[in-house]
This record gives sequence, C-alpha cells and structure tokens, in this order.
Amino acid sequence: MSILIDQNTQVLIQGITGTVGSFQARIMRDSGTRVVAGVTPGKGGAEVHGIPVYDLIEEAAVRHRIDAVLSFVPARSALDAALEVIDAGIPLLVLTAEGVPDQDMVKLVRYAAINGTTVVGPDTPGLVSPGKCKLGVHPNRVLKPGPVGVLSKSGALSYEVCKALTEQGIGQSTIVGIGGGPLWGLSQQAVLRLFQQDPETKAVVLLGEVGGTMEQEAAAYIEAEMDKPVVALIVGRAAPAGSRMGHAGAIIEGEEGTAASKIEALRKAGAWIAHRPSEIPLLLRRLGV
Amino acid sequence: MRLFEFQAKRLLAECGVPVPPGILIRSPSEVAGLAFPAVLKAQVPVGGRGKAGGIRVVHHADEARMAVEELLGTRIRGYPVRAILAEPRVKVSRELYLALLVDPRTNRPMVIASAAGGMEIEEIARQAPEQIVRKPFDPFIGLPSHLIRSAGKALAIQDAPTFGAILEAMVGLFTSQDATLVEINPLAETPDGLVALDAKIVLDDKAAYRHTELFARLSEEQKELGRTDKTPAEVLAEERRITYILLEGEIGLITDGAGTGMLTLDLIQEAGGRPANFCEMGGLANAEIMAQAMEVVLANPRVKALLISLIGGLTRMDEMAEGIVRYLERQPVTVPLIVRMCGTQEEVGKATLRRVGIEPFDDLDEAVRRVVQAVEGASACRS
Repeated sequence: MSILIDQNTQVLIQGITGTVGSFQARIMRDSGTRVVAGVTPGKGGAEVHGIPVYDLIEEAAVRHRIDAVLSFVPARSALDAALEVIDAGIPLLVLTAEGVPDQDMVKLVRYAAINGTTVVGPDTPGLVSPGKCKLGVHPNRVLKPGPVGVLSKSGALSYEVCKALTEQGIGQSTIVGIGGGPLWGLSQQAVLRLFQQDPETKAVVLLGEVGGTMEQEAAAYIEAEMDKPVVALIVGRAAPAGSRMGHAGAIIEGEEGTAASKIEALRKAGAWIAHRPSEIPLLLRRLGV
Repeated sequence: MRLFEFQAKRLLAECGVPVPPGILIRSPSEVAGLAFPAVLKAQVPVGGRGKAGGIRVVHHADEARMAVEELLGTRIRGYPVRAILAEPRVKVSRELYLALLVDPRTNRPMVIASAAGGMEIEEIARQAPEQIVRKPFDPFIGLPSHLIRSAGKALAIQDAPTFGAILEAMVGLFTSQDATLVEINPLAETPDGLVALDAKIVLDDKAAYRHTELFARLSEEQKELGRTDKTPAEVLAEERRITYILLEGEIGLITDGAGTGMLTLDLIQEAGGRPANFCEMGGLANAEIMAQAMEVVLANPRVKALLISLIGGLTRMDEMAEGIVRYLERQPVTVPLIVRMCGTQEEVGKATLRRVGIEPFDDLDEAVRRVVQAVEGASACRS
C-alpha cells in the first residue's frame, strides 16, 4: 500500500507539451508511472514521448481511465485548468504552480471539496510512492521503496531528507509535498491521517517551517490520534521575523509562527525532533524502523 | 503589498466606509488648513506606531507645525517618516475590531470581530481570546445576513444597518481587489456613528496582474514614501525578482528551494557561522537566474565565502552548473566558493563544474562545515 497513489494509478499531465511538462513526463514514464495522456489546449492529436495529447480533459477521459492529474499549468491559468479537472470527476489533482492568487485558491479548494477531488499543492513538487508511481518531479536518485511516510511543505527539503534516508538504507512509502502555502489543498493533518491508516507506513517524517499554525494543528492530531512514531524537522530556526522566506506561507507573524513554538508543540505531542536531515535516519533506527 | 493607512482609508472610503476627513501632509507649512484639535499620524507601513511615538494630538497651528517638523525627521521601527495623515480628532465612545481574511484552516473567507478594539489582534488574542468572534463563510454564497447580525450582536452594535453596510463594503473590496487582509482597527463608535479610525489593507501580489492600474498607482505613492535606503544587492535582487533577505553575517548563501534555504541557514548558524543573506531562486530557476543570484549575493561587500547549495527536482543541475560557469566567465569570484550539487541531471552538472576546477560536494553537512571553516580561516589570516 501507499497513500493517494499506487502502481495502478493512471496519470494525465496538464501542460504536457511545455518544456517542463515534456521533460518530466519522460522521467515519470521511465520510472514506471502509467502516464496515459496529456492535455494542452490547441495541441490535440500530437504525441509527447509516445503519450497522446488532447485538447480537453473530457476528450482524454473518453479514451482512458484517469485517476490523477499532475498540472504544470502556470499560476494565472491554474484555477481554470483545475476546474476542468474537477468537472471531469477526477479524484486527485496535483498543482505545481507557484503564485496562484489566494482568491483563486479559495474557489478552487471549495469547488474541489464539493465535487470530491483531492487537491495537493499549490507550489508543490507533487507526490511519489517509490517503485510504484511518481506524480511529481522528485529526483529519482534520492528515492527508495520502504516503510517511512514523508510529508513536507518544501520540495527540496523533502529531497534532502529522502537522500539521507535512502543513503542509510531506509526507504519511503509515499512522499507528499503539500506545498509552500499560504493556502493549501491537503493539510499536514490530512496527510498524517492517511499515513496513520496506511498499513505499509511504519513511521512518519514531518517537515515543517516557520509561518502560520499548521504545525500546531498537526501536533494536536498526533497527540490525539496517532500511534505511529513521528519524527519532525522544522526549518527557519534562524529566520528573522517579518521576512517572507521564499515560500508565500513562510513568514513569522506573531508568536505561533516561530520555529520554536512549532517545535515545542510537536515535542509536547510526542513527536521526535530532529535538527538536521542526517539525524532523521538515526532517530528512525532507534524507533525500530 | 501592504498599504499605508491613507491608501487603505482611501480605498475604504471609495467603497462607502465612513472615515475621518484627512489630509496628507508632506511639509510643516501644510498644517495651515487643519481644524483643531487634530490627530497627526506618521505614515509608515508597520504596526505599533502609537507606542513608538508616531501619533500626536495637537491643539493649534504652532503645535502642529512643530510636531510635523519633529515627525518628518524621525524613523519609526526603521521606516523614515515622509508623510503624515492629519485628521480632526473624533470623540470615541467605544473601539471595536473588524477584519476580513482567508482562514487558512478552512480555506474560506472569514470575518473576525471583537469588542476589544484598538490593540493589535495578537494582543487581543492574548488578553481577551473569549472576545474574538470568527465567522468563516462560503466563497460561492458570500456573506449571509445572519452572519452580519451575529457579528453585530457579538459586538453589541447599536447602528446595525451602518455596521452591515461597512461589513458588506469590506467583503466587496476584499473580493474585487484581491486583498488578503482588510482590517479596521479601531472601528470607532462616535456620537456621529461608526467611523474607521485606522485601517490596514494587504493586497495579494500574486494577483497584481489583474489590477495593474491600482498596483501601479499605489506602488508609485509607496516608492515616494517608502524605504530608499536599500543596499545595491537588495536593489539588484528586486530588479531580478529573486528572493533575497540581507542578514548580518559573512557567509553568502544561494539555494534552489525555500525549505532547504531555511535549513542551510539554520545549519550555518548552528555550526557557528553567520549567514550574510538568505537567497532562494525558486523551483524553476535556469542558468541565467543562477548567474544573477551570484551577482546579487556577491554585491554585498561583507560576503567572505559563498555556499551554493542545490538539490534539484524541477531545477536542473546541468542548467545550474552552466549558470555558475557563465558568472565565472564574466568575472572571477575572489572569495572561497563551495558548491553542493545533487538532483536532476547532476552528472552533467558536476562534470561542467569540474571542467572549471570546482569539485562539488554531495553532503550538505560537510559543505556547511567547509564554508564555516573558510570564513574562520579568512579572519585568522587577517589577524
């Protein structure tokens, strides 16, 4: 098992004919993911690395069963492209776009919730279950199948931690990038719940950062409902207050946004606190992984 | 974009929210037309002005002229005062708090109201959390009347129709202008009715393309009144649209991710080093952005060593190496340069770096150790 995706997941790539879309489509397909179709308006009938391209999702959906969409559509068109996915009844949408306006996200997330589509992102590298399905842009060399669930606001930080895990022989069940905020489709708490229910996941690594209160809400969930061990790394301990640290959501405003208050909440909830990626495999080993 | 108070009030007034009649003053001679007693409010884009001495009550023209002279020379929390909003003093019987933002827990727009206005919302949350009312609503339905009634009742509002009109105007502004925050604090109850005595509006930069005229007008005003004491590196970063935050140390840092950027900052500091900056290129960086980031970070004369820490998914290492080489071809780097490289197309990238004599690191901890040592070595040589 894994969460959200598995070896049977059939993927459609939105924006497949762009530079990034076509480059990543090939890597995804070569790592065993079932990329069955792509969509770019106006490019219907073309092929990208042998993958058929359609003008509209509804056309692709007639020919293929589509379980998930990976969207490389830029921020300005992200809402419209997402509405197309949701209207096609596709259960999972990953938004890589950075800079989607908040009002667009509000509508997008609400419409997705009404219609039963799970949204991951925006500003995310996506998600991957090593050896099964890659619905994202993670570098393959840091990935290895195994028992640890990883969730992260930051893409690169999750690569960093997976590299440390993989080099120590610890594999991952699913790696979920929830995105850099300030608004999120899937929250840390929602992903923790999925990992808690997944029989293949034995332990979870939570990678958080300064800004907002989502880590505090995750801590409340860990305390109340999780019996699997959680190792947490919170970055931004040296970040100055009031500066936006590269992610739209990563800005310390008030006491709750600081790394110290998040670390304190997670520690109290029973999570194990790491200070650097290289400590995480050691902690997991001690916890019996 | 965080608006100045006078800009926020102008937007609110345009939507029909009652605000005091104010004049923007740029020099002491402009106090002539004021009615007294008047309130002089320094226009700086930061909270806590009152405590920092940025708000004065004056009773006649001489006092006003002196106060304006004094205020225009000062800085409030680092921001120079270049304009003052002058308003007639209003008799206030009660100060309320009213705001609209997106609730990150439910991803819905939300009204926040409190009868304990006048202080910052964090302060209210600490001192009187039971007095804060939070009312999220559905973005497709809009603000329902029962919710206005409920908020009005929680604040014991006398003039319910005006309160409802203000709240509806705030929602209209919030939605139509892509605001991320519309806050009136305090919303004052006065003998003449409800008045927005202070206001804070933050517009969503991500949606600036939908409001080009409004953004252009507001930024033009802000440029005149805002900070001009930026360092050359900061100005360059702004032109290049690279995330760059100037810090106080000597270790220059460039990363290709926000999370790893913060991580590397933490690791440098915990290894006894002092970062000179935070610089993050974003997930879609190419060779040119890499070269530009080096230009930005090295424009800071305090930088004694540079760490470039890369772990790319979307960012391709062949592109990053190409960017580093491109910079080196234009001008040599005179401080120790340490590159950590890992991720998509890394074999190509590493080969490119080796051709110009750079041996990239694979391990982040080790790269951080090296850069901290390089700076220590440099200062040891000098002393």
